Amino acid sequence: MTDTAFLEADEQALAQRFIDDGFVTTPADHRAGLDRIQRRAAELAADYLKLPHGNDPYAMLDTIHTRVSVDDLNGLRLHVFNGLNAEPWFRPTYFRLARSTIETIVGNELCMQRRVNLSIQLPGDDSSLLATHSDVWSGDSPFEVVVWVPLVDVHRTKSMYLLPPSLNGDMQDRMASLRSAEELYQTIKPHATFIEIPYGHVMLFNQTLMHGNRINEEAGSRWSMNCRFKSIMSPYADKRFGEFFEPILLRPATRVGMQYKLPGGFHG
Amino acid sequence: MAERAGHRGYIGARPLNGSRTPQHVQNIVIRDYARRKNLHYLLSAAEHTMPSSYMVLEDILDELPRLRGLILYSIFMLPPDEARRRAIYDRVLSEGCDLHAAVEEITLSSRDNIQAVEDILLVNKFATIL
Repeated sequence: MTDTAFLEADEQALAQRFIDDGFVTTPADHRAGLDRIQRRAAELAADYLKLPHGNDPYAMLDTIHTRVSVDDLNGLRLHVFNGLNAEPWFRPTYFRLARSTIETIVGNELCMQRRVNLSIQLPGDDSSLLATHSDVWSGDSPFEVVVWVPLVDVHRTKSMYLLPPSLNGDMQDRMASLRSAEELYQTIKPHATFIEIPYGHVMLFNQTLMHGNRINEEAGSRWSMNCRFKSIMSPYADKRFGEFFEPILLRPATRVGMQYKLPGGFHG
Repeated sequence: MAERAGHRGYIGARPLNGSRTPQHVQNIVIRDYARRKNLHYLLSAAEHTMPSSYMVLEDILDELPRLRGLILYSIFMLPPDEARRRAIYDRVLSEGCDLHAAVEEITLSSRDNIQAVEDILLVNKFATIL
């Protein structure tokens, strides 16, 4: 690590964990905000299923597989996704869940993905799987991170897996000789780690590392959200500024710099 | 046999014919095409940005026994190698599926359609654009 003399000890430790493990999990900075998101997600799900709003949003989400079929799952997911993203408080609240970690790992002039994604994985369902991938392979910049937030406790196959940084390069070197992402998964499987995250915590991970999910073989349904953040002036890839990302924190010195023009009109 | 799910979308992160289309716009085009053709659209998979990688397309081909077909954003997303393309047509048709290309409004549902698709790809390879 560089610049360690300029960082506080807790920032150094967090940064080192991110470099070494490829992810960090921490308690949400804004627990009330997370509870509000969870409650709204449960209300939207109840609306879609024409059920009354209950007073136990965790149970509503965790047991959603008892109320919705696989055929209707994407309809439910889109209803909750659109409903959450339509709330003006939603994205600022999502950012506040992990603000301190984002600022330590990424920086304090930031852009954020315009829509926060939502995943729902019912136990035994093979229709919502994400094959082994790195976001960079499909057009994300390697300068981005993902903030991944579960709305229920996740563990083992109810969670996502990540390949450790120490192995990612070697596995990438083998990729061109493999035919499909499933073959790639079988290659990395012994080394991939499913990350355990209790409700109330958030994860920030390095999306250049291979990751994905498998069929949820646990008892409850997985609900998780994910959203990308990057330093606003760092390089973009296919996911462009404006169409995919929008600025959320731009500091006054940068605004001044972007508007400044040197004196002109010289004729010498 | 279990009910087949629908048509899987296939979008890309590489420029096509020198042009770039944002992925969400590619999805809008596919979704609109599926609606007009009365096809049940399944969430798209995005091909890798690395040149000549068709790993994601291979995953969709592996999924064909559970699908009715696939919808490419553009026919020009198919591999440049003709033998590899013909192997793809064979796999699609032998699984009882069809292949669509949304921008060009192409449907490949029988062997009779293959030459027309190949003609488009060949002409595109040699013709220049002013």
